Amino acid sequence: MTEIFDDLEGMRAEFNDALSGTETPEALQQVKVLFLGKKGKLTSWLKNLGSLPPEERPRAGEAVNSLRDDFESRLADRRVFLEERQSSEVERRSGLDVTLPARGRTWGGIHPVAQLMHDVVEILAGLGFSVALGPEIEDDFHNFEALNIPASHPARDMQDTFYFPDGHLLRTHTSPVQVRSMLAHGAPLRIACPGKVYRKDSDPTHSPMFNQLEGLLVEKDISVADMKGCLEVLMEGIFARPLKARYRGSYFPFTEPSLELDIECVECSGKNPSCRICKGTGWLEVAGLGMVHPNVLRSGGIDPEVFNGFAWGIGLDRLAMLKYGLTDLRVLFDGNVPYLLSGRTFSC
Amino acid sequence: MLITWNLLKDILSIPASVEEVAERLTLTGCEVESLTRPGEKLRGIRIARVNSLRPHPEKETLWVAEMDDGRGTALVVTAAPNLSAGDYVPWGRPGAVLADGTVLGAKDFGSVHSEGMLLSAEELGVPQAADEFGILRLPEDAPLGEDAPSWLGLDDVVLDLSVTPNRGDLLSLLGVAREVYALFPGSEWKKNPADLPESGAKDWPVPFQGITLKTPGCSRYCLGFVTDLKGGSSPLRVRIALSLLGMRPISPMVDATNLAMLTLGQPTHAFDALRLPAPEITVRPSRPGEKFTTLDGKSHIMAEGDMLITSGDVPVGIAGVMGGENSEILPETKTVFIESASFDSLSVSRTSRRLGIPSEAAFRYARTVDRKMAPVALKYIFSLLEEWSAGTAGFAILDRTDCPDDDRRTVPLTREKLGKVLLTDDLDEASAILNRLGIIEKSSSPEGRIFSVPSWRPDISIEEDLLEEVGRIRGYNETLAPRLPRVLYGRGDIGPVTRLKGDLRKILLSRGYVELLNYSFLSPSFISLLRLPEEDRRARPLSLANPLSAEQSKMRTTLLPGLLRGVERSVLAGWRTGIRVFELGRVFLPLPEGGHEEVEKVAGVVYGGRDGRLPWGHSEEEDFFSLKGDVLTLGESRGICLDFLRGHEPFGHEGQTARILSAGRDGGYLLRLKPAVEKELDCAPLYAFEFDLGILENPVLPNFRELTPYPPVLRDISLFVPADSSVDEVISRIRSSGGDLLQDVRLFDIYSGKGVPEGFRSLAFSLSYQKKDQTLKDEAVEEIHSTIRNTLTSFGYILR
Ligand SMILES: [Zn+2]
Repeated sequence: MTEIFDDLEGMRAEFNDALSGTETPEALQQVKVLFLGKKGKLTSWLKNLGSLPPEERPRAGEAVNSLRDDFESRLADRRVFLEERQSSEVERRSGLDVTLPARGRTWGGIHPVAQLMHDVVEILAGLGFSVALGPEIEDDFHNFEALNIPASHPARDMQDTFYFPDGHLLRTHTSPVQVRSMLAHGAPLRIACPGKVYRKDSDPTHSPMFNQLEGLLVEKDISVADMKGCLEVLMEGIFARPLKARYRGSYFPFTEPSLELDIECVECSGKNPSCRICKGTGWLEVAGLGMVHPNVLRSGGIDPEVFNGFAWGIGLDRLAMLKYGLTDLRVLFDGNVPYLLSGRTFSC
Repeated sequence: MLITWNLLKDILSIPASVEEVAERLTLTGCEVESLTRPGEKLRGIRIARVNSLRPHPEKETLWVAEMDDGRGTALVVTAAPNLSAGDYVPWGRPGAVLADGTVLGAKDFGSVHSEGMLLSAEELGVPQAADEFGILRLPEDAPLGEDAPSWLGLDDVVLDLSVTPNRGDLLSLLGVAREVYALFPGSEWKKNPADLPESGAKDWPVPFQGITLKTPGCSRYCLGFVTDLKGGSSPLRVRIALSLLGMRPISPMVDATNLAMLTLGQPTHAFDALRLPAPEITVRPSRPGEKFTTLDGKSHIMAEGDMLITSGDVPVGIAGVMGGENSEILPETKTVFIESASFDSLSVSRTSRRLGIPSEAAFRYARTVDRKMAPVALKYIFSLLEEWSAGTAGFAILDRTDCPDDDRRTVPLTREKLGKVLLTDDLDEASAILNRLGIIEKSSSPEGRIFSVPSWRPDISIEEDLLEEVGRIRGYNETLAPRLPRVLYGRGDIGPVTRLKGDLRKILLSRGYVELLNYSFLSPSFISLLRLPEEDRRARPLSLANPLSAEQSKMRTTLLPGLLRGVERSVLAGWRTGIRVFELGRVFLPLPEGGHEEVEKVAGVVYGGRDGRLPWGHSEEEDFFSLKGDVLTLGESRGICLDFLRGHEPFGHEGQTARILSAGRDGGYLLRLKPAVEKELDCAPLYAFEFDLGILENPVLPNFRELTPYPPVLRDISLFVPADSSVDEVISRIRSSGGDLLQDVRLFDIYSGKGVPEGFRSLAFSLSYQKKDQTLKDEAVEEIHSTIRNTLTSFGYILR
């Protein structure tokens, strides 16, 4: 009895040897015929089953059938293995050059100034500022009078203005939006006013049209320290790292006290005396700011004895140039696709 | 505004270096734009005497001078025509360095060995200080052998200050000295240039009837008298000082008035006494149309609101702006009347701007001039002229004023506001700071103090102005540690327009568009480029009254020209493959009833490129439908299904122009440009879209279908439809007859040509039917499908 099973185990070992040697479907077919074919080893063995004593036949039959099932499933597994291996070979031989250009449209880009504007309003939204927009064609009241800049005031020299024949003008700053917002909403108020502004000026550092973002906060008991805090969060957000700040006294008709904010040079951090960005000073002028002048609050219908606040203005174009390392302001408005794309990481 | 460090130190003793002073001025609001040292490079130049002078033995135009600088003598060859034996001159021996960095050496001129050079004003770096051609001759008291640049005052530092419009008081040496005095508590006054002895009181030796003020724009008018004016030039060191301060020395009289202005901030003007039309001065408003010729020879027409200085009713000056040609002083003038007045800043500013005369005087008056300086400046001029022996002064000053002397204004400073804005309650510190600025505490209470403001600070009128003075001098960096406003009302809202623009930017980015930002100005030529007819309101742009150039004289009424220009620019710059550009921005459109509106638009232009070759064959070609996909996607991002209708634009291809509609509202166009326009731009084909952002303003929430386990049943329909029936029209007819069971209608084939009847085209649609609560039976599908077929037939479509 035991010999029968020894024989079967011997056949299993023989099958394993044969199977593991197969490398092609043809060889596999030969192994199948050798063991399971009409004259195959297991088949012939099965035919000998009748010579066993009747009481041993069921167990022997069971063992032989199980061996056959095993052989068949092992043959099928090996077939899948060989076929996939063969297919992989074909795949490899017909492989792609993955460095070919992409199909479909690529090369899109958002304008750096627009990108910065979106970044800035998101940072400011986190500080509670909502975006307020207003007309680009303004009147003298909203652009000047309401902002404590009377006619013929020398401060108007600071902002050379484009006029229309009917006396309207192109806003020289987005401050008129502040006036309109105060009149519309009163205090408390936190707004950010991005937009195009215009001044009659054109040279490598001035464009007749540029993009500003002004902020206004009018609440109770606001100090210069609150203003500094907001501006520093904003600058840190824009440049994604903390930067040294320096405040200087200044003058704007619509704020009192008035300040200017310098940040450490983003190019050289003040370490390069011949730095072309900061001219060796180590500082970059980035914002005009101040506590809102009581006259401006009054123009906005707000009682300056109850509320006070601060306002600031930043030039988005200049900040975008600093952030993205651009050198000529006018190129931003030049409509030149290769230039706009040249700042990107991929190459043409 | 230029001042020099030495002149400042004549007035104040300052316990700080010039760099420290510059830094502090900058931080407190008066930016020092530069520090320059005009004599920085000068080395080894001494005061020497010309012992003897003889013609060069061989060279006719040259002279040989024997020089003595107290350390020995040597010969120097010079070409200068203005020397005499005994003159004192600056001499640079070999090794000396000139202002431009030139190092001097010894050189042989024929048989004469020349040791270095005798120097001119130009070689010392102050060409304007010369009063004759040639070597700079020094006065007789020049100390032999001393360092010439330092004796001349060239070892100075010039500070260029950028003075803000509110601080007219800083437009003088005295003003800057007052500021520095406040900034450096250790500094002390040495000599205040405004502290002058009373001038003489002699009667004028000529008859004079007096001064009449007929306008409130002139609140004080002083007139001085000087006679026996000498010609020639001012003393050398005065000329050098003026040169360093950016003024050209002219004559003692003119130099004295300029020095008075630079030192005290008070502009003055000298009339030739003999040329003044009448022995009186009247300040009056101009009469409209009155003509006047200023001393620069230009004639002007006066307008209402201008102020004139007249004599015998003849204008002799535009008040605060410029004097007249008819009474200006001449080289031979001996006797002058000198005006020193106080004019209203707004009036002077308005007149000077309108006439385009940016004179030094007008600049200062526009920023206000201390009313108290009017007589002081005259005394200052008198003392200079006498000191230089350039004229006889000592006569009384006529001082006409129509209002009492400016009472010192008072402004309060409360503990409450000081604490609120500057986070300090130290009123004593504030008072000390203000005191050094000349803003004197008058009274005190627990709540605050009252301060009186000096006449030279008209910019200070309210409490916030005092806060600024205290804040800037305490320093915004040393105090007031940054913090955030304590109350937070919640997150801000970037608002629908900014949010929409952000979404559109991201979509267009991912569809391969590059964003441009174009000027809002256009050249008027865009109207003809786009073939805009007169009745099209885009052909009537707003015009600027004062454009920078004709190219930028019109406000854009469409974003298209800017984008087309961008394509042109990019092609020129060498971009060869496809160009897709877009812009988000406003256009400015005239309204029929007058006025204008600003409309937010989005627009895009696509050009296949000069060389669109790709390894993928032409599957990447841009056409009308690729842009239609872009526009549709913009709508889909808001849940809005945009519709397209055949339409018209003056610049659109007659067969490839569509109107873009949202819920029936016409928002703009999608088109290929007219071939004639493409030809003009030398780019073809060009596709473009432009529409109002307003049509995407209100997002539509998606209407989701209920999930159903029952599968849809598909059926196709093929039709010949008249060529002028649009696909949208056919689909809407299928839909309206399809009832609830019809879910989707999809066009999958379109064909015209062989086998299609003339005037027709073949369309094939795949229809899907579905019922959400049960499997659809074939009979039910068949019934509705044949209803659709019958309906379509009734519209004249031919079923295949
Ligand atoms: Zn730098």
